[in-house]
Amino acid sequence: MSAHAGSSHSVGHGPPIANQSSRVSASVLGMFLFIASEAMLFGAFFTAYFFVRVVNPEAQSWPLEPFHLPVFVAGVNTAILVTSSFTMHWALQSVKRGNRAGLQAGLVLTLLMGLAFLLTQMLEYARIGFNPGDGAFGTIFFGLTGLHGAHVFVGLTLLAVATVRAFRGHYTPEHHHGVEIPGIYWHFVDVMWIVVYATIYLI
Amino acid sequence: MTELVHSAYDSHHAPAVPPPRGLARLRAPGYLRAAWTTLLFWAFGFGLVAFFRWLAHYDPVVDWTIVTVVAFLTLAPLGFLTGIGAFDYWAYYVSGRPTRPEDHSSHGATSWKDYFRVNTDHKVIGVQYLVTTFFFFVIGGLMAMIFRAELAKPDLQFVDTQTFNGLISEHAALMIFLFIIPAFAGLANFAVPLMLGAPDMAFPRLNALSFWLLPIAGLMFLAAFLVPGGAFATGWTSYAPLASDQPLGQVFFNMGVQWAGASSIMTALNFLVTIITMRAPGMTFWRMPLLVWANFTTSLLVVIATPFIAGSQFFVMFDRIMHTNFFRVDEGGYALGYQHIFWFYSHPAVYIMMLPGFGIISEVIAVFSRKPIFGYRLMALSLMGILVLGFSVWAHHMFVAGMAPWLRVPMMVTSMIIAVPTGIKIFSWLATMWEGRIHLRTPMLFALGFLSMFVLGGLSGIFLASVPIDIAASDTYFIVAHIHYVLFGGSVFTIFAGVYYWFPKMTGRMYNERLGKLHFWLTFIGFNGTFFPMHWVGLQGMPRRVSDYSEQFGNWNMVVSLFSFLLGASTIIFFYNVIQSWHRGPIAPGNPWRALTLEWQVSSPPPVFNFDEIPQVVAGPYEYGIPGARHAVLNGGHAPVVADAVHEEARR
Ligand code: HEM
Ligand SMILES: [Cu+2]
Repeated sequence: MSAHAGSSHSVGHGPPIANQSSRVSASVLGMFLFIASEAMLFGAFFTAYFFVRVVNPEAQSWPLEPFHLPVFVAGVNTAILVTSSFTMHWALQSVKRGNRAGLQAGLVLTLLMGLAFLLTQMLEYARIGFNPGDGAFGTIFFGLTGLHGAHVFVGLTLLAVATVRAFRGHYTPEHHHGVEIPGIYWHFVDVMWIVVYATIYLI
Repeated sequence: MTELVHSAYDSHHAPAVPPPRGLARLRAPGYLRAAWTTLLFWAFGFGLVAFFRWLAHYDPVVDWTIVTVVAFLTLAPLGFLTGIGAFDYWAYYVSGRPTRPEDHSSHGATSWKDYFRVNTDHKVIGVQYLVTTFFFFVIGGLMAMIFRAELAKPDLQFVDTQTFNGLISEHAALMIFLFIIPAFAGLANFAVPLMLGAPDMAFPRLNALSFWLLPIAGLMFLAAFLVPGGAFATGWTSYAPLASDQPLGQVFFNMGVQWAGASSIMTALNFLVTIITMRAPGMTFWRMPLLVWANFTTSLLVVIATPFIAGSQFFVMFDRIMHTNFFRVDEGGYALGYQHIFWFYSHPAVYIMMLPGFGIISEVIAVFSRKPIFGYRLMALSLMGILVLGFSVWAHHMFVAGMAPWLRVPMMVTSMIIAVPTGIKIFSWLATMWEGRIHLRTPMLFALGFLSMFVLGGLSGIFLASVPIDIAASDTYFIVAHIHYVLFGGSVFTIFAGVYYWFPKMTGRMYNERLGKLHFWLTFIGFNGTFFPMHWVGLQGMPRRVSDYSEQFGNWNMVVSLFSFLLGASTIIFFYNVIQSWHRGPIAPGNPWRALTLEWQVSSPPPVFNFDEIPQVVAGPYEYGIPGARHAVLNGGHAPVVADAVHEEARR
């Protein structure tokens, strides 16, 4: 900017550098607000769950007779996803310390575990024996797990981008928003799953 | 989305790119590319539906309802956005290629054609928003003219009942989602970064994308008229389970709301980040103009509440296309749940439709009364109060819906309490004007019109908040009167005030004051003639949303319809004035209103990057009538444009 300061208002000269009026960086704050909004979307789905299971005077049994929920398989899947949060954290710590191999390994592991989670869920869908039309129970089950699955998919896409760029050497200990921000999103997806698992499968 | 901020402000001299020729034009961002990408994405959606249905042995493989949702209403718009270049930068980023340094070629507008391209300049985007929203305002208004003609006399004359229901639903949907909410976003887009002393929004590309979702949503609503069964006809509230079993047009509402909602969420996020991270030095939260405060609170509401309407519309749509049972009672669903989820968004949404207007009025009243805002901090805090309380009153829309009886009284009490922060604002404005030197320019007239009409709307709101009265008045024209006093007399008047107020800044030209005043008075008379009698026919029991009515209401309805045509005609003056003045109105000075806020301290229209140097804020924004007061120092104090405002003030 400084080189062009004082020149006329032509398109050629860039804008003045904006004042940074907050310590948080714009993109991190943006991601947190986006997550707030996403959490509310989950909130709408949980509200539907609450209505169907708690408020409704004619609430059906949960799970609806004669279906069963694969609590154990989903539990293993939960473990996979939770572990992937740790590898994500490791990736971020690595890039901060300038350890590129750690960054790459962390991202790849996270990506693989996320994929494993998604595949398991798809197999679960195929074998579960009921579908979204089977009572409000089936609707809510597929609604909440499906919404979450879509978020895993988005998270994986972001991670894939970060991984590609990591292998091209785009991140440095100073500039790594491209890892940090998908990471924040990934932790959110992870935490959300724990809530979904607890409410759908365990309670 | 990550390195946006930095790269947007990298200064960089880019060599001028020659316009593409021949086949290269098919690859360059623009409408030509949009044409084939839209088709391509549509075909992909079609194939996707067919493939999965074939895989699952569903019959028939091509189900047009699902194709409509997936190919027409989801993927084709994405294809269009890709084609016009809304995603280009991110596509580079995602594929791991080095992103092209920002050459600012998408900043500023040199000809009217630039307004039809993806542009990242918040001032251009603001104008794009306003023109688009006023376009839909006209369409929605014409629909109202049609059904007012139908309602002028009892019995059916022009349209059948389903068409009538379609017209009123489209009217409300367009006015709410395509006019009031985004028109405020447009005004704020133009004004907020300038007021903050920022060169642009925090995420300029996201800002451009948010805008382009709007025409998509609007055309989606309108396209509903073309499908078998006609437009969606369940009102803007689209209650389940009715809405799950309507003709195909209903999914155009369900999906249109998603696009408009995504647009508002992204804009709100952008405003919040801009306001938090890009204020000029010295611009503390307690020195921000109230318009900024208003958009800060509104954006919080949008980010928190809008996902609920997204959810509610998804549920209704899934019940229809995927045979889910969210609201199907015989399958264990809970029908009343729809209303709870919908109003948990839509009551806060009435404040989304009002708070930015409060901000505009605060600017206008302070400037045209030449006095500081009375109780500035309380004004900001009452916005926050409304924000919090706004989430606790949703069920006052459901007093007759058969909800749990114990919810009624708490909701009644909170609904009445929320009038308190609103009342604080009204009295603050009155006190600001008290003993001020009031200049009755058009924006001020609309501000005064707003004050008086909004109070009337608030009063009918208090009536409705009390359960016994609401039980009698629910679903009658009394509600129609209430919502138009708050949304037309409230929100639309403030939009007009804002458009007149910032018109010189946006276009660099003055509007015609006499036509402006004429517009105000005709609107004011037409408005009251149209909506005031609705209180009476409503209390006598005339039901809303019905195309026919009993003889006894005939006379008043004729009066209402005649005044509504006057109201419709009054907007012609507005458009004539705007278009004419934009062309050849007198050149506007930088600061025609002698205002202190930052947007008036630069030229009209402002320079491409708003400021040569980021200004230094030194005091509050409303020190009118105080000799020597200034809000900010520009250009290191060398050319303090503020001074002429202050001198004039001192001379009087
Ligand atoms: C003093 C504050 C207010 C109170 C106590 C209040 C109260 C109410 C109540 C109780 C209803 C439900 C009537 C019924 O359907 O039976 C209602 C409807 C409505 N209000 Fe308000 N209101 C207030 C302010 C506002 C404001 C500021 C706006 C918008 C700018 C607004 C917009 C609406 C709309 C759009 C409806 C109708 C929704 C529908 O289509 O059914 N209200 N109001
Ligand atoms: Cu309400």
